[in-house]
Amino acid sequence: MDRSINFRGIAGSAGNIMQGMGKFVFGNDGPESKEDSYVERYLDRISNGTIPDERRSAMTELQSLVAESRSAQMSFGAMGFPILLNVLKEDREDVELVRGALETFVSALTPIETTQGPKTESEEDFYVRYYTIQLLTALLTNSLKRLQEAILLIPRGITVLMDMLMDREVIRNEALLLLTYLTRDAEEIQKIVVFEGVFEKIFSIIREEGYSDGGVVVQDCLELLNNLIRHSSSNQMLLKETMGFDPLIAILKIRRGSAFNFTQQKTVNLLGALNTVELLLTGGPSSESGKDANKNANQAALAQKNILDHLLLLGVESQWAPVALRCMALRCIGNLVLRNPQNLDSLAKKQVGEEPHVQPALNAILSIILRTSIAQEFVAADFVFKCFCEVKNPNGQALLASTIAPHPNQGDTHRAASDMPFGSVLLQALVSSDVNGDMEACCRASSVLSHIIKDNLQSKDRVLQIQLETPTPSLGRTEPLLHRIVTCLSIAASADRENDQSSHLEESYIQPVILRLLIVWLVDCSNAVNCLLESAVHLNYIIELASSKRYTACVRGLAAVVLGACVLYNASREKGRDAFAAADAISQKIGLTTYFLRFDELRKSLAHPSSEQRHRKELSRSSANSMSDFQEIEEDETNKDDHHPVLSEIFDSQFVNFLNKLEADIRENIMDIFSRTKTATAVLPAELEQKNGEVDGEYIKRLKSFVEKQCNEMQDLLARNAMLAEEFVKTGGGNTADTSQKPSSGRERVQMEALRQELEGAKRQIESLKTEKSQIEAEANHQRNLAVKMESDLKSLSDAYNSLEQANYRLDTEVKTLRQGGSVSYPDVEAIKAQAKEEAEKDSEAELNDLLVCLGQEQSKVEKLSARLAELGEDVDTLLQGIGDDTAIPDDDDEDEDDEQ
Amino acid sequence: MSYAYLFKYIIIGDTGVGKSCLLLQFTDKRFQPVHDLTIGVEFGARMITIDNKPIKLQIWDTAGQESFRSITRSYYRGAAGALLVYDITRRETFNHLASWLEDARQHANANMTVMLIGNKCDLSHRRAVSYEEGEQFAKEHGLVFMEASAKTAQNVEEAFIKTAGTIYKKIQDGIFDVSNESNGIKVGYAVPNSSGGAAGSSSQAGGCCS
Repeated sequence: MDRSINFRGIAGSAGNIMQGMGKFVFGNDGPESKEDSYVERYLDRISNGTIPDERRSAMTELQSLVAESRSAQMSFGAMGFPILLNVLKEDREDVELVRGALETFVSALTPIETTQGPKTESEEDFYVRYYTIQLLTALLTNSLKRLQEAILLIPRGITVLMDMLMDREVIRNEALLLLTYLTRDAEEIQKIVVFEGVFEKIFSIIREEGYSDGGVVVQDCLELLNNLIRHSSSNQMLLKETMGFDPLIAILKIRRGSAFNFTQQKTVNLLGALNTVELLLTGGPSSESGKDANKNANQAALAQKNILDHLLLLGVESQWAPVALRCMALRCIGNLVLRNPQNLDSLAKKQVGEEPHVQPALNAILSIILRTSIAQEFVAADFVFKCFCEVKNPNGQALLASTIAPHPNQGDTHRAASDMPFGSVLLQALVSSDVNGDMEACCRASSVLSHIIKDNLQSKDRVLQIQLETPTPSLGRTEPLLHRIVTCLSIAASADRENDQSSHLEESYIQPVILRLLIVWLVDCSNAVNCLLESAVHLNYIIELASSKRYTACVRGLAAVVLGACVLYNASREKGRDAFAAADAISQKIGLTTYFLRFDELRKSLAHPSSEQRHRKELSRSSANSMSDFQEIEEDETNKDDHHPVLSEIFDSQFVNFLNKLEADIRENIMDIFSRTKTATAVLPAELEQKNGEVDGEYIKRLKSFVEKQCNEMQDLLARNAMLAEEFVKTGGGNTADTSQKPSSGRERVQMEALRQELEGAKRQIESLKTEKSQIEAEANHQRNLAVKMESDLKSLSDAYNSLEQANYRLDTEVKTLRQGGSVSYPDVEAIKAQAKEEAEKDSEAELNDLLVCLGQEQSKVEKLSARLAELGEDVDTLLQGIGDDTAIPDDDDEDEDDEQ
Repeated sequence: MSYAYLFKYIIIGDTGVGKSCLLLQFTDKRFQPVHDLTIGVEFGARMITIDNKPIKLQIWDTAGQESFRSITRSYYRGAAGALLVYDITRRETFNHLASWLEDARQHANANMTVMLIGNKCDLSHRRAVSYEEGEQFAKEHGLVFMEASAKTAQNVEEAFIKTAGTIYKKIQDGIFDVSNESNGIKVGYAVPNSSGGAAGSSSQAGGCCS
């Protein structure tokens, strides 16, 4: 008794319970040995010491002591717990000391002798177990991994803990919690507890507690169960083989109409069971081999137990059930049918509701999508359609697509949707927009439609053919559904902008979801691309979406993907609507670098933390935990970060992968387009050679047209080349270059280049004309000089002639006078005179002839040059003005002479 | 699905003696020459019939490496049967049998049936342990003995079924308290042949474990 008072002195009043525990655990029966005093001394040094090193060394000593001596363990048990627990609490920053404390605990609790004393069931034993479990649980929260390893090293350690599950209720409940901690992320421990038959024990406790109506213990059981099957298909298989799924289904059973009885605890219990179902339906970790086989087996086994009915009751028919529960049940429905033909089929055939108000389950789920005010519920119900349609269920898609048609009573909004076929309800939602331009319904219906047409060409074409009356019937035309979707997109965009201030933080999912529909539709479907590009407005609008800073990175990126699909899946040959036109529009109006940057931004905006981590939450068990857990679930999923939760759910990793693949194809395709000509003219066509019997003229004509064609193409390519170069320079130049100073686009640059070349050509022509002109001028001068010389020659000639004439006349007169004087005496004079005259005339005639010939030659030269000058556009008359006065004379003379002759 | 009894087995022995191959041959009837090293413990199951009763065998294949020894020990107590395996072409695996057996005796329940298997008997040209040595060791330690080949499937069925037969006989003889599931035996629910009691009629099982 003295000792125990002593202990109290050391441990303080807070240690009362622990002290009691120590007494019960290790008893007081041992001989009071020197170990006792050692333990006491060390504990004193640890609790009252002030020098850190000393406390640490005391801890080390204590640890090795309790590791070796059973009696030291008992002393420690009697005194040590409160002190060491206090160390854990107060000296957290001293890692070494804390580690020492934990090691001491482990050592103190590790049996040294395997032979145990005779076991007697007593109150004392009960407390031993109770506090030991509590202590272990406390230790696990501090040092999970270490304790897990330590327990594995103790043979039968886990087996003993498992036995506690069959102990009295208080112990059982504590053991459950301990096992839940212990099995977390510890595969080996999980296997051992499974080997020890934990599944049977879990379900027997659940049954005893009343299934979902049970208390927090049921919640703990399910938590433990989920720990065990979360990452292990072999544990799942074992559960299926040893227990079957009946007990699990029994938890999910709720009575129809028991809607108002969802207490918080019941909700949490049901969530836990649904979580189990989901884990089973999604199989083990993706790396595990045989995962799919295991998943399929679970799907089949659960379906065999009619789990679909229970899930529909929870998810679809119990509109009073808490929303988290409904969402979870919907998710399970999705996972139940995923890639499972039989389950797909039974979902398609399933009816919900009670007579006479029954309707197909799929219709009911669609109306949840359209009606719910909770984004999470929309996503969960949408997930069902995703699972129903997207993965290898073309028949299901076709089935749903086949009903899409305008309903005769389309405008009648009061009509109950349950009376209308699936597709009519969907279509009505697609084209509806309320007065405020709220496109929520359209967006949700778009999401469903995108599942229906995904990877299904037939459905895409079918939906493409749907014609709707235009909103302004005065035009009296119809428009394709696809056009209406683009209109809805633009309405959504403008509505978003108006609401910009109010909901700035929350990124809207409406546009992204509609854009996703467009992407899904266009992929692989050239008809859809053609339909979209029918109106140039559409392309421009999408380009605007992809380039304007007004929109979020997600919207811009998705718009960029739409544009890419317009290039990639474009089979049109029509000018302005073909792939080249789309590619050119992208590179001109956005620029290729910016364009491809959009994809990166999109990827970043869609990157979200893995859902695995999101669903993990810290296990805590307090009286309030069921309540807080439940709220956590709600809040966890609605206010994650600034990113809209719907976005990360809808644009899941699967869709992101799809986009990545698409992006790669788009990149390649656009590169291909820029390395090709539109008409794909062969560089050296076979017909370049002259054909047999082809006339030269025709051959030349043909070659000419070929060259022309190539020339055009070259212009085209040059324009693109310039555009690319510009882009390259812009991006390569970095931020320093002020691009706004170079407004000229690539095309203009090419035009300028052409003009410059033309100008140069003209210049060269002018140069050559100039030299030609000066040559001609020089010639003309030369001719003028010649003419002047000839004129003077002529003058002297005529002078000579005149003087001859005069001489002749004088002689004549002389002869006359002589004849009158003695005509006989001068008989010879007349003869001589005649002779002389004849001689003179002969001489002058020859000379004149020479001159005329010469003149004639010059004249023809002048004429030729004049003609050439005129041809070259020179004004010959003015050019010759100066010369004319002089040259005209010989000309005229010439003619005169000719005439005279 | 329904069974009269469920027996839990463990397979123990040095690394590389063919424990996982024996299990695969028994559950899937196939042989996988290259097998990943077993990490921790793997699990397999198969239904067999003894004395016209459906018996489910749940077999836990352990890692032979020393580093997993402490984990493996956790499985001893809950097992009704153990297949202790050595490789007839590797002497050291035979030499280690005593240490395995000591482990089993220490941690398992006293009534655990241990079957000694000399595996890889198809490789008799490389034999390093004679049949007689194996037989002798089994006799000394009170084990059932068999040479088997996971590759050719020789004696694989027999080894598992004979072990089950021995356990069944022990139940019939009242050695096991079947209500205590920690012995590795579980009584099933739907027993087609309800006439069977602990009378220990000269059953097929009885014949098995002479």
